[in-house]
Amino acid sequence: MAEYSHNNRRSILWYAFLILLMVAGTVAVFIRAKEGIIVTNITSTTPWGTWVAFYIYFVGMSAGAFLLSTLIYVFGMEQYEKIGKDALLVAILSMVLAMVFILLDLGHMERFWHALWYMNWTSVLAYEVRFYVLYVALLLSELYFARRIDLIKTSVVNNRKGKIAKFLSFGSKDTSEASKRHDHKMLKVLGTMGIPIAILGVHGGTGALFAVVKARPFLNSALFPVIFVVSALVSGTALLIAFYVIRNKVSGNSIDQAMVKGLAGLLSFFLLIDVGLEFYEFFIGAYGLEHEELATLKTMIMSDFSWSFWAVQMVIGVVVPLYLIFSKRTKESVKALTAAAIMVAIGILGVRFNIVLPALIVPVMTGLPEGYYYPTLIEIISSGGVIALGFFSQRSCRKAIGG
Amino acid sequence: MKIANAAEKTDDQKKIPQWGMVIDLKKCIGCDTCTVSCKAENRTPPGVTYNVVLQNEIGAYPNVALVNLPRPCMQCDRPPCVQVCPVKATYKLDNGVVAIDYDRCIGCRYCVVACPYGARYVDFGESYSQEMLGANEIQSPEYGVDRGKREKGKSPINNVRKCIFCLHRLERGEEPACVETCIGDARFFGDLSNPDSVVSRLAASPRAFLLKEELNTGPRVIYLK
Repeated sequence: MAEYSHNNRRSILWYAFLILLMVAGTVAVFIRAKEGIIVTNITSTTPWGTWVAFYIYFVGMSAGAFLLSTLIYVFGMEQYEKIGKDALLVAILSMVLAMVFILLDLGHMERFWHALWYMNWTSVLAYEVRFYVLYVALLLSELYFARRIDLIKTSVVNNRKGKIAKFLSFGSKDTSEASKRHDHKMLKVLGTMGIPIAILGVHGGTGALFAVVKARPFLNSALFPVIFVVSALVSGTALLIAFYVIRNKVSGNSIDQAMVKGLAGLLSFFLLIDVGLEFYEFFIGAYGLEHEELATLKTMIMSDFSWSFWAVQMVIGVVVPLYLIFSKRTKESVKALTAAAIMVAIGILGVRFNIVLPALIVPVMTGLPEGYYYPTLIEIISSGGVIALGFFSQRSCRKAIGG
Repeated sequence: MKIANAAEKTDDQKKIPQWGMVIDLKKCIGCDTCTVSCKAENRTPPGVTYNVVLQNEIGAYPNVALVNLPRPCMQCDRPPCVQVCPVKATYKLDNGVVAIDYDRCIGCRYCVVACPYGARYVDFGESYSQEMLGANEIQSPEYGVDRGKREKGKSPINNVRKCIFCLHRLERGEEPACVETCIGDARFFGDLSNPDSVVSRLAASPRAFLLKEELNTGPRVIYLK
C-alpha cells in the first residue's frame, strides 16, 4: 500500500482520469456495437484504420516485453530481474488489449469464435489467431511459475489478497529450494519455447499478415516481418523502462540507475537497427519506381498525413530519444531516459499507423477513388478506453498477485 | 495466357460450365449502364458497387484520350481474397465464381485489402431509403438466399460483398445484368471450358489481355484492346 502514502493526490488523479476514459470508452463501444462499423471512417478503399493499427501496436508491445523477459529467464541476465515480473504481465495484458482492438474492428463481432472454429490453411490470419491463443497460454503458465512461491507466501495471510493468492497458486504449497529450482527450470523451458512462438508466430506472423498482400506493393516485402519483430523489441523495451521507473518513483522506492542505463542502451541499439531496416525498406521500394510504391511513399512523407511520419515517427520516436540517450548532458539522468522511453513508445505508434494506412490510401487501380482516413471520435474514444483498461488492469493484477 | 485448364479436368467436372466474361474495350463508350443495371439488379447499397467503369486520361495535352475500363470482379482462378480469408467464408464455386458466405464472414476485411482489383466492398449498412421508397423492404436474392428486409446488424450489413456474375440470373439461364444491358454490346459471357464458345474464341484473340497478369491471379474476365 506504499503507493498510496506517497504522491497520494497524483495517483488518485491518474486513476480518476483512467476511470473517466474507461467510462467514455464503454459508451463508445456500446454505440459501435449497436450501429456497426459505420461509426468509423473506414471505407472500402481504406478498409483498416485506427483499431487495426492499435492491434498491431499491442501485439508488438507484447512480443517485445516477452522477449525482454527471456533475457532474464532464459539467458540468465540477472541484472534485469527487476523488470522480469512486469515484463510477463505487460506481455499478457498487451495481448489482451490487441485482441480487444481486433474484436472491435470485426464487422460481425458476435462471430469472433468463427476465427477459431473454421480454418483456412492458406490464410496467415487463421494461423495468427491460433498462435495468439497458444502464446497467451504460454505466458500465463510462465507467469504462474514466476510468481508461484510469492503467491504461496501471500496465501498464508487471511485476507482478500491472501484468498486470491491461494486460488491462483492452484493448491501448490511447496516453497522448498527444490521447487524453486523446478520453477526456474520451467521458466527456462517455457521461455525457450516462447521465443520462436513470439518471433516467428506472433509478431513475425503479424508482419507476414501484411507482407503477403501482393495487391499492395508497399507491404509486399520480406523485410516487413523482420521490421515488425525489431520494432516490437523497441516498443517493449521502451514501455518496460517507463513502467519500472514510474512505478518506483510513485511508491518511493529506489531506482536502479545502472539497470535503466543498460536498458536505455539496449533500446537505442534496437531503435538504430529498426531505422536501418526501414531505410532499406523505403530505399529499395522507391528504387523500383513502381507506381503504387512511389504513391504510398509519397502519401507517407509528403501529404496531409505526413506529420505522423515526420513528427511522430521520426522526431518523437527516433531523433529526440536518441539524443537523450547519447548526449553527455542527459545520459546519466533517469528522468531524461524515461522521457526518451515514453517518446519511443509513442513513436512506434506512428510506425504502426504508417504500416497500416498509407498503403490503403493509394487505390489499387488508377481510377478507383483515393482513400482518406482520419479516425472518428468513436474510434478515438473507444481506443482511449481500451488503453485505460490496460493501465488499470495492469495495476489491479499487480495488486492481486503482488510484485 | 492460361484462362481455364479445362483439359486437365475429369469428364464429370467438364459438365459444369466454367463461367467467364470478355469485355471489348473498343466497344465500351463509358456510359456506365453496366454499373447502373448492376446496382438495380443486385440492389446494392450506397458505397457498394460490384461493377464500376474506371475512366483514365492518357497522353499529354493536346494528344489525350479518355480510356474506359469496366471493372467487375475478375473471379480469379487463384484468388488472393480466398487465399487470405481466415474462416474460408469466401471460396471458389465449381463454376469458377468466387462466392462469399455472408453468414460465416466475420467482417475482418482482409480480403478487401488483398484484392488487387479493388473489387470488394464493405457494406456499412447505408441505404437509399431517402431517395427511394421502400429501399429496405426487399433484397436481391444473392446466392439464391432470400434474406427478407434489409435490417441493421443483419448480414450482409457489416460483411464484405462482391460481384458474383449475377449467380442468381445464371441459375435461371440468363446472362449477368451488365452483359445484358451493355448498349455497345461490349460484354460477352459464356463457358470458358467449351473451346467453341464465343468467350473462348474471343479470349484467344491477339487483342486479349488480362488485368495485372503479372500477379498470376488467373482472372476470368478477359479484356480486348
